Amino acid sequence: MHKKTIHLTLNGEAREWSVYPNELLLNVLREQEYLTGTKYGCGIGECGACTLHLDGAPTLSCLTLAIACDGADILTIEGLARDGKLDATQQAFLEHSAFQCGFCTSDMIMMTRALLNENAQPSEAQVRDYLRGNLCRCTGYASIVRAALDAAALEKQRAEPSAAS
Amino acid sequence: MREFDLLQPKTLNDALEALAQNNATIRPLGGGTDMLVDLRARRVQPDTLVALQGVNELRGVTRANGHLHVGASTTIAEILKNPLFAPFNALRQAASVFANPMIRNSATIAGNIGSASPAGDMLPPLLALNAQIELVSRNETRVMPLSEFFLGPRKTAKRADELISSIQLLVTSNQSPVSNPQSSAFYKLGLRQADAISLVSVAVWLERDGEKIRDVRIALGAVAPRPMRATRAEEILRGQIFSETNLKESARIASTECSPISDLRASADYRRRMIAVYVRRMIEQAWQHF
Repeated sequence: MHKKTIHLTLNGEAREWSVYPNELLLNVLREQEYLTGTKYGCGIGECGACTLHLDGAPTLSCLTLAIACDGADILTIEGLARDGKLDATQQAFLEHSAFQCGFCTSDMIMMTRALLNENAQPSEAQVRDYLRGNLCRCTGYASIVRAALDAAALEKQRAEPSAAS
Repeated sequence: MREFDLLQPKTLNDALEALAQNNATIRPLGGGTDMLVDLRARRVQPDTLVALQGVNELRGVTRANGHLHVGASTTIAEILKNPLFAPFNALRQAASVFANPMIRNSATIAGNIGSASPAGDMLPPLLALNAQIELVSRNETRVMPLSEFFLGPRKTAKRADELISSIQLLVTSNQSPVSNPQSSAFYKLGLRQADAISLVSVAVWLERDGEKIRDVRIALGAVAPRPMRATRAEEILRGQIFSETNLKESARIASTECSPISDLRASADYRRRMIAVYVRRMIEQAWQHF
């Protein structure tokens, strides 16, 4: 088993990694990049805790080999805020306290971000459908759904600064 | 995780050459959503994996000569997004309840077929749509009906030196005056709305001729060692007027044709009863959607 050098973009910055074939993207992020916002949950694709964006698509990093990410563009929760300003999804989750223990918060926010990229004004049914693979064991989901819907409104408001200010 | 070597061929020839030269401990790697779980659980212990991600010949969906040619690496998410899949309602319905949105972005159609789980979500709709599967190796290309591909739980007709290269579906044009309208439907009964392994799944395909069902295919998942066609149930309906009596009888026969097991998710008896319910509902649904 040999290491291979790969090049990728991580949260907008160029990275060079040297990885073994059997290393998971999740583990490289957490153990080499110290980006621990992306969580290890079940490890078998059933909880959603390790969700990040791989070339724009929400992807489970526990089921992705790091070595397969040569040339990829990866966005994790740590890369979501821009110029010190929280993303609308992060702001909405804060305002709604859409978390208790916080373990699912990164993945819920990354999924909400992906949903809003596809559909700027989702209905409650669309939010619930899109987040169906992401488990939360504390909130009962009500505050998460409210935050996701409000994130859409907040983002619209930010895009129309005249109406906001 | 167990150590393995990973080959990342850029062409189909290179991938097939690697498979031809290696022994039985080499395995193809598609989206990885089954393989990485199996690797970690040590259900499979390959020395070498051949990643197919970079092989362009396995990508793409094209329509030609009345067929939809679906590349092996087509993801479940693409089945939902690509308008070429619009005529195949049952396939779309299965894709929409497949695992969860993240898995759908990685998992491939060939991966779901190659895993050959009796409960694989895409398999009943592909059987109901009479899909053909193309297998390639260094020395030959062969095409077979998907119904002949599944031999048992996780057992298929694919040799170790072969890859699934594509799936082919017959496209019928409802605009054409010579062809009859066709319709399909799928339902997965699971214990929850996400990440569910089906207790039973049912796919049906109908061709209509006036008030008659000219032709019909019924496929069942998770109720036999492999995804199956309920051919005796089909015979009750084929060429007959669409009627409540025929529908009930066909559904009853389907529930006797399958051979479900009892496990921690459901009893065999419950599965049989649900087959009767959903065969009936899916035929009604497909009939209403002409």
